[in-house]
Amino acid sequence: MASSRDDFIIAIRSAFLKKSTQQKFSLLTLVFISMFIIMLSSLDFRVIRYLKIGINELVYRSAFVVSIPENFLKNTFLEIKEYSTFFNDYKKDKKELSNLKSNNISSEIIQFENKELKELINDYVSSSDKILAKIIVDQDSPFLKSLIINKGSKDSIKIGTNIYDQSYLVGRVIEVNFKTARVLLLSDLNSNVPVSVAPQNIQAIITGSGDNSAEIKYIKDSSEKVFDEKSIVYTSGTGGIFKSGIPIGKIKSNKEDVSDKTTVEFYSDFSQLKYVFAEIVTKTNIKESNLETSQNENSNQNLLDAKLKILEDELNIIEDTNIKFKEENEFLKNKINNLNSAINSLENKISSQKKEIEKFDLDTKEVEFLKMNLYYGHKCRRSFFNTKGFTVGSDEYKTCVLNKGRKN
Amino acid sequence: MVSFKTKGPFFKLYSWLPIIILIISVLNEFNFNYLNLKYFSFNFPFILIFFFTLKEFKHFDYFFVFLSGLINDTVVGLPLGISSLSYIFICIATSYFRNITIRPNPIKDWFYFLFIISLINSINYSILTLFFSFDLILMNYLVNTFFTFSFYIIFASLFKFYLKGLDD
Repeated sequence: MASSRDDFIIAIRSAFLKKSTQQKFSLLTLVFISMFIIMLSSLDFRVIRYLKIGINELVYRSAFVVSIPENFLKNTFLEIKEYSTFFNDYKKDKKELSNLKSNNISSEIIQFENKELKELINDYVSSSDKILAKIIVDQDSPFLKSLIINKGSKDSIKIGTNIYDQSYLVGRVIEVNFKTARVLLLSDLNSNVPVSVAPQNIQAIITGSGDNSAEIKYIKDSSEKVFDEKSIVYTSGTGGIFKSGIPIGKIKSNKEDVSDKTTVEFYSDFSQLKYVFAEIVTKTNIKESNLETSQNENSNQNLLDAKLKILEDELNIIEDTNIKFKEENEFLKNKINNLNSAINSLENKISSQKKEIEKFDLDTKEVEFLKMNLYYGHKCRRSFFNTKGFTVGSDEYKTCVLNKGRKN
Repeated sequence: MVSFKTKGPFFKLYSWLPIIILIISVLNEFNFNYLNLKYFSFNFPFILIFFFTLKEFKHFDYFFVFLSGLINDTVVGLPLGISSLSYIFICIATSYFRNITIRPNPIKDWFYFLFIISLINSINYSILTLFFSFDLILMNYLVNTFFTFSFYIIFASLFKFYLKGLDD
């Protein structure tokens, strides 16, 4: 018993302390160094930070070079896969493009309105530039969903910078080096994004699920059932980490899934990313910029450019509206002219009808006179026996006939 | 089979091949999951380090193993030193196993490997969740351990050809 314990202790001591042939360090030394590094990496000293940045730069570049053959194989495989579905994708894209074109016009107007309203509320103009960044390392690790881009603090990338694939949100920067940066993808378990769900207008937080999708969390139980496949998810801007109104994905309905989880399917496929856009945001305060002169020339220029852009947009919209009004005016004028001519013709018709009626009235009176003349003419006519009568055709004769004879 | 008549630069390069592959693999993190199978992943450096520190420790410098751990942490984005510690634990385990083994047996090695990687992954998981507040999926670790264990026997038989070439 004692000898077996001795053997165990000897084996352990030998494993830890003995420097084997051609080994420069004993394993115990390396264990202590590892623990020391773990402790140092959890502390935020400036020297350690710069050292880490240096190591990161070197390792990321080396990783990019080493990954070239594997990436080549991967891309070839994906390209072959793409060719097989090329025609169907083309038809789908064509249909989508026509839809997008029509949506784009209304979206431009909304953007303009949004800019104007934000300016009124916040009293500053935020101008943003999107810079293209290449993904140099994308390990697709099952534990951490992150990627490395070839833009860093040199290109004004900061911690928290929003990263896009086209106009869809992909993630945010969590580590910045001089010429590289690490992006935490939205699919990572440690990623939390405040979102709005439309058209239900529900506020929530989405958390990455670790497998190219996200789950809706921190929401009232009663609200979960109201989501459908048409519900879209976009950033709400709460907390100020992400800009508001950036599309993320749509609600995925899984009828087989009996759990209460609501899954969000991203618009962007994170495994297919080659290039991304990093958004560099510059906030310019209007009041301060008026006071500052030389130091804020650039920001003033940005502000003026932004204002000019807004005014140009406004002018364009006013011109469009004017043209529409002119066209409408012309149409109304023509309509009025047509109506006037119609009125004139109707008036003419009425007057001719009036004349006819008058004529008809006259004719009726004449007939009436002739009829009475037959009965009472002999009483009014001057003759040998009737010397007090009147001459036929005179007004007195007419009056006499109509009065049915002479009145004494 | 590969054979070297003189112990020239080619022999040196050949004898350093496992270390070179280890450094390339941590820089690249071999995965081979082009079919995007859910949870599929395996830890190639674990297999490589375990095999070569057990069989060919003379040409497998511990310092480079330690260095490759640091590189792995930088590439994956883990706190610096975690992977180094894991790799060095494997070295300690193999060193102990070598000292107590009289008659080597591949099946015994295989199951000892399973025990070691399970232990190391558990330590890794505990450190990351307890001290660094990382959110991790335990299932990923379990599947990773299973596939690493499964692939060990395949890679071990391939590495034996390499050792045969080195002996020749």
